[in-house]
Amino acid sequence: MIRKSGWLIFLTLLAAILALVYLFLGTAIRLGMVYTLEKAVGAEVNISNVSVSLAPLTLNVSELQITDNAKPTHNSISFSNARAALEVWPALLGYYVINDLSVDGLAYGTERNSPGKVFRGPNADPADKVDFQQLLRLDLPDADELLARANLQTVARGEELKQLAQNQQQVLRDIQAQLPDKEKLEQIQAEIKALTDSKIDNAADLTAKAAQLKKLQDSLRIEQQKLKDVQQTLSQSRQQLQQALSAVRDASSSDWKKLQDLANIGESGLAPISQILLGDFWGERIGQLEAVYRLAAPYIPEKSAEAAQTDQPEITLANRILPLPSQPYPDFWIKNARVNWLIGGGEALIELQDITAQHQIINAATRFNAEVTGLPQLSLLKLDGDFAVLEQMVTNVNWQLQGIQVDSMDIGRDDILLKLASATLNTSGKLNLVDNNVDQQARVVLQQAQFSASDNNYVQQLATLLNQQAEIPLNLNASGLISAPEVSIRSPLDKLLADAVLGEAKAKIAALQTELRSKLDSQLQQQLGGQSEWLNLLNQQDDAAGALEENIEQMLNAKLADVKDQAKDKLKDKLFDKLGGGN
Amino acid sequence: MLTLLARILKVLNSEASPWQIGWGIGLGLLAGLLPFGLLTLLILLLVCLLTVNLATFLLVWGLCSGLMFIFGDALESLTWQYAQHPALLQLLAKSETLQLFHLHHTLVLGAFVLGILLLLPVAWLGTILVKQYRGRVMSKLQQWKVVQMLKASKLVQLYENLN
Repeated sequence: MIRKSGWLIFLTLLAAILALVYLFLGTAIRLGMVYTLEKAVGAEVNISNVSVSLAPLTLNVSELQITDNAKPTHNSISFSNARAALEVWPALLGYYVINDLSVDGLAYGTERNSPGKVFRGPNADPADKVDFQQLLRLDLPDADELLARANLQTVARGEELKQLAQNQQQVLRDIQAQLPDKEKLEQIQAEIKALTDSKIDNAADLTAKAAQLKKLQDSLRIEQQKLKDVQQTLSQSRQQLQQALSAVRDASSSDWKKLQDLANIGESGLAPISQILLGDFWGERIGQLEAVYRLAAPYIPEKSAEAAQTDQPEITLANRILPLPSQPYPDFWIKNARVNWLIGGGEALIELQDITAQHQIINAATRFNAEVTGLPQLSLLKLDGDFAVLEQMVTNVNWQLQGIQVDSMDIGRDDILLKLASATLNTSGKLNLVDNNVDQQARVVLQQAQFSASDNNYVQQLATLLNQQAEIPLNLNASGLISAPEVSIRSPLDKLLADAVLGEAKAKIAALQTELRSKLDSQLQQQLGGQSEWLNLLNQQDDAAGALEENIEQMLNAKLADVKDQAKDKLKDKLFDKLGGGN
Repeated sequence: MLTLLARILKVLNSEASPWQIGWGIGLGLLAGLLPFGLLTLLILLLVCLLTVNLATFLLVWGLCSGLMFIFGDALESLTWQYAQHPALLQLLAKSETLQLFHLHHTLVLGAFVLGILLLLPVAWLGTILVKQYRGRVMSKLQQWKVVQMLKASKLVQLYENLN
């Protein structure tokens, strides 16, 4: 059973395998990297060469290009050379610990020799963006159109109120039949009166009359209980109607807010002009961060609840490491990285420490800083921050950019095109990213800005006014999902620009506001109309029932007291006679 | 293709015992399912030291490695789903030496478990089939003209001479 030459065969095979591995490992890694990256980014990935040297264990990757799936003629990221020195023991255990990583010639958005294949389309959804064209043309929708689009709650709540009132009408009809019979009450009243007015001759008479009175009292109590039931039903009906009425009034307030949003009019008139001008642009820039998040997502430890919520196809690696309770190393850990980034015709140096997705294992956050100076179109760029994947992926970035020469930028399209010919831009800000939720504050100052405009009258006025400003300060805030952030852009110049450019539009907006308000009010009146009267009727019915109950109560108490007093008086007289009093 | 067919026939018709061929199939399957690593080398050592039929082992190893390109993703997902048991994770994390086998990698663990489960049944089934072939089919097959032509072809003769 034992092969004598077994060891020899094994060593020969092993040597052959090692030779094959040494010869083809680079190719195998290259194919593996291309497969994994293509799965992650959804577009063609090219790597020209991957080589491995054994002492020290080093991986060299040459000319990597990742196609931009939104623009296949260009790369999203590319680099000319990357070198990673791996630690041997962790690598034998299946963990990728890289002591030093250097990336040279990293570039963003370079043109490809031939368009790359795209496997998944761009994620940007332009449907929710601010409609700049509509707003500047001042084609404000009319009040009827807005009311139709708004899916008003007032109408729905009004219908509910009508239905409730109809039900209550039936209840009210039934209640009238349940109310105590007036003639019967009068008869009881007369009988009690006759009984209490009559003289009590002896003890037997007292007993008989007391029994008769008790019988009448019982009848009265039955009527009283009926009355209480009626009162309770009335009270419930009134409460329900009041609630329904409040719901209609509340719906009306909320509808008014919704209509204002739809018409893009708020407390201070039309939405701020800077929001209209730059909202789309800044939203798209923030949205680009999503590409980075998607690239990092497969390496972030899974959270099943979150994974279930997303609509995106799940991206997994070909061979994942199980979440062991005490891992000696993170799945991957780059201790030091140096990236030489080709940016705007110049170069930037980025240094990173402790890159991993399992920060709790190394008990440190990933830190990064970048500094770019001396570029022809940028006098200073400073960037620093950190990120850590703990319960959530938390990223903090601070930046400062000075003296950015803006060559040209188009804002808007076609006849509402506003062209920024030149400007100097300074900006500083901070960004906080928790998973794929962004919260960002930035201050941007445009200096010596020169705008030119298309034929549109409003845009020309706007360009003239902007050109007169020495400085255009802007506060840009963004929050929400990276893919569709809520962007808010405000400038101290907003009011000035809006007054000047949109002067005549303001009257139009004010008229629309008045028309909308009156139409909504009429809707409210229509819905409330008859139902308020019903509430009054219920109140009246309730008052009447209250008065009747008071009457019964008085009858019961007063007559009982009289009979008792009379009986007491007679007993007193009898005792007095027997004791011989009065002589 | 002809070479592959001739090689299979040569093994089946050789003096190797059915058990040697059966274990060659079983261990080849196990090695083929596993991504290349220390476990593969251990299996290879086992195959070399025991008188398992080497040609069968190498053939099945190659075939099963190809199959893993198709079924690897499904096996990986399945292992990720079912391997999150705390006791198993605790066991895998116990020592660094154990981690040398990469059993904490989903695909390795899944392939190892599947391979071990299939090892005995496949080895046994392989043995039975070889026995059946030799007992019932081999003599008839030898008389087929296609087989005789195949055996007479220069390519096969060259292959046999080299072996």
